Amino acid sequence: MPFTILPPAPAIPFNHPHHYAASDNDSLSSADEMDIDTTTARPTKRARLSRSLVTPGETVTSDPQWMRGHGTYIPSDSTSIVSTVAGTVLKTNKLLSITPLRARYTPEIGDLVIGRIAEVQSRRWRVDISAPLLGALPLSAINLPGGILRKRTAVDELNMRAFFSEGDLLVAEVQSVFADGSASLHTRSLKYGKLRNGYFMAVSGLQFGYRARGGEVDVVLGVNGFIWIARHVEQAKDVAVTRLEESVSLSIYSSQNDEIGPQTRREIARVAGCIRALVEAGARVDEDMVVRAYEASLELDFETEGREDAGGEFLGGEKGKRIVEMALGSATS
Amino acid sequence: MPLDTSTYSLALLRLDGRRWNELRRIHAQISTQAAADGSSYLEMGNTKVICTVTGPAEGRRTAQGAGQECRVEVEISVAGFSGVERKRRGRADKRTQEMQHTLTTAFSSILFTHLYPHSTIILTLHVLSQDGSLLAACLNAATLALIDAGIPMSDYLCACTAGSTANEDTDEPLLDLNGLEEQELPFLTAGVLGDSDKVAVLMLETRVRVERVEGMLAVAVDGCKRVRGILDAVVRAHGRRMVEEGV
Amino acid sequence: MPREAELSLNEREFILQALRENVRLDGRAFDDIRELQLSFGDEYGVADVRLGKTSHNPFPDRKFDGIFTISTEFSPMASPAFEVGRPTEAETLLSRLLEKAIRRSSALDTEGLCIIAGLKCFALRADVHVLDHDGGLVDAACIALVAALRHFRRPDVRVEGENVTVYSVREREPVPLSLLHHPLCVTFSYFNGGEVVLVDANLVEEQVREAEVVVTMNRHGEVCQVAKYGGLPIDALALLNCTNVALAKVQMLDKVIQQRLEEDAKRRDKGGLMAELNGDTLHKDDDRLDRTTDWLAWVSEWIEKAIGLTVGVVAQRYAVRCMGVSEGGTGRGKARARALEEGEGETVRAM
Repeated sequence: MPFTILPPAPAIPFNHPHHYAASDNDSLSSADEMDIDTTTARPTKRARLSRSLVTPGETVTSDPQWMRGHGTYIPSDSTSIVSTVAGTVLKTNKLLSITPLRARYTPEIGDLVIGRIAEVQSRRWRVDISAPLLGALPLSAINLPGGILRKRTAVDELNMRAFFSEGDLLVAEVQSVFADGSASLHTRSLKYGKLRNGYFMAVSGLQFGYRARGGEVDVVLGVNGFIWIARHVEQAKDVAVTRLEESVSLSIYSSQNDEIGPQTRREIARVAGCIRALVEAGARVDEDMVVRAYEASLELDFETEGREDAGGEFLGGEKGKRIVEMALGSATS
Repeated sequence: MPLDTSTYSLALLRLDGRRWNELRRIHAQISTQAAADGSSYLEMGNTKVICTVTGPAEGRRTAQGAGQECRVEVEISVAGFSGVERKRRGRADKRTQEMQHTLTTAFSSILFTHLYPHSTIILTLHVLSQDGSLLAACLNAATLALIDAGIPMSDYLCACTAGSTANEDTDEPLLDLNGLEEQELPFLTAGVLGDSDKVAVLMLETRVRVERVEGMLAVAVDGCKRVRGILDAVVRAHGRRMVEEGV
Repeated sequence: MPREAELSLNEREFILQALRENVRLDGRAFDDIRELQLSFGDEYGVADVRLGKTSHNPFPDRKFDGIFTISTEFSPMASPAFEVGRPTEAETLLSRLLEKAIRRSSALDTEGLCIIAGLKCFALRADVHVLDHDGGLVDAACIALVAALRHFRRPDVRVEGENVTVYSVREREPVPLSLLHHPLCVTFSYFNGGEVVLVDANLVEEQVREAEVVVTMNRHGEVCQVAKYGGLPIDALALLNCTNVALAKVQMLDKVIQQRLEEDAKRRDKGGLMAELNGDTLHKDDDRLDRTTDWLAWVSEWIEKAIGLTVGVVAQRYAVRCMGVSEGGTGRGKARARALEEGEGETVRAM
């Protein structure tokens, strides 16, 4: 039975600052070099929408030469590749995959992640790295205090809580990924280990993990969307494994914060405020943007110094928007 | 109070001024809650639902049966102020439990649960206001929130209701019933997968002649396709904004 | 918590493969319903349905309606997966489905349970107990419930102003409930991407199915309820086809229930208590013929006779006591007899 379903009556337009009409043409076509066959299921819709953005159930291509990657599937009754998430099409040679706009972090080998200890088990810790499953940090994958290299003994096993106990934050690298998608971590480098002297933030999904240093502040951007902003600690240069014991201090598993001056604390707060402003505006958070936003905030403070609309040290609201604009402006220029 | 069919057939307009095949206004937003992995807010007329998705995350471990697929847990809470009269609906309310079960089984088969073994996806829905088509609104809101969370699914699961005017000689189906119409007319809720004719959820709770079911179902399926277009536009608008600002 | 033992992968694959080859493991055709055994009295084929009665105050917002509640109970007797006192999801769904199928479709005319509007009404409570679980719980429970409602007789009442007299079964013939229609459920199970459709799946089939649709209809072709809780998406046309199949099944089931009810009514109709007490030999001879065929009926009749006999004995004793000649109670009996003569208004009841 053919029916025409009337659309709902047009109502008062929703007053969203970023509301786009459906006919908004694709400003992304320049960045989008998709040359694959798009004359499939919904030709009318496909013609007027940005071609790089796909939504679940949309046929990406029916050309059999493409291989399907993440975020796609092939229905049992056809050969066309259909998207399963809302995101952008990514092509790697003949592999088609869809990068979701937003998704939970999926661990990959080599990722720099920040995690929180969720459980202490025998011979391993379970670490919340905001992935679908808790990550595992085996006892054998950490540095012992003093950098001693030896087989882990039963005594170490009993002392596991002295290294990391529930709730501790740490920065680690994904060493391997198991078949079910859960990650195995390691902290066998001076760069990794327990986190202290700072402030934790969580944003959803970052593209890359970074360690950055801005003045007195260290920033660690975990790939999993966790961010650590802390007082800068001078670190020894990379040392050979054989001389590890000389550089690894006995206090790497200390849970005591050091003395932090008010100026450093203010700087930490400034970085945190910048990141929060970026997140609120929906902008990308990466090393470059954080540095730019930080600079922008300094600039803004300099400009408005002594004026009445200085707005104090709070980097939200109007001031946050200004910072993001300035950061984005300097990024494109 | 039966629906005033005499006026209806004369003006071909319903109580709220719609035609038989007209949807109510659907307004939806996604990524509304910062704390959740995915979230949405959906209005279908005066039915308002907010949905958040947490996960896939490591859930409560079950001794057995966790299997190779992730579990979908749904929790629906109906606000006391959502209905006409203030009524507190407990967690043990059978109607709510039934809706939870419907959402769980519906999404378990549409989501690609095998990609996240041993983990759990938790859907939390809050009903802020109800004016008919509650199950449909919950399904639509959950679909949007799951898309926002980036969880792979085979297609949109869109739902709407369709009723049938109980007039002896004319058998007119009605699309997208509001609360008043729902009380008076036999109606069904259908949840359709994407643009296909495949019905994932079908709930009919009122007595109706078997011949009428066909008309109602046909209207509901077509209505669902329309709803899909609307939800898709919401996702696309949001996606385009994210793509533009992120770069 | 004990769980239902899950099928092994091989078993699962075996069943599915068999279905793909059009074989059902219990030898039925795809659209066959298992043989329905329905017996009245206290027992039931699949579910034991007990109906109780109490006098209650009606809900204030429904003055003219009686109270009808359905409660379901899964006991560990049916399956070790069921626990007492902790309703599982399946139990909630079953009671919800029964509620929708029977209560919401107004199969039972609750106004018929009203005695005095706003003051007195009957409260009818249907307890569905699951004794054994081999799939098709909803269907079985619904058949049992409808059959029980049709079988049930409520005591007759007489209203005089504010006074209500509820007559016992022995005083007045109890009245059947007024049922507006008889809804019955048929469950369809889908396998193999929706290609294989089964009616009335058993437990193992239920465990491997991909989608289920419960259709409730009555024999007049009215759909009372359709429930498809998610699962594999099914083509809309195929779903419509379900209603047609369901109608045929429901008409068939309805006929069976009707037949069994009639048989039961015939068995019960023995001319009442008086005929029994008078020792109507002619009737008894008829019964004796039946007895040889159905021992169950024979036993129940035997029990009934025994009860009748006891009643007779009690009545006799009572009469004797009233006359004041029975053991140890001469004085009281005489006093009582006098009181009766003075007409204190107490009716002498046999029971």
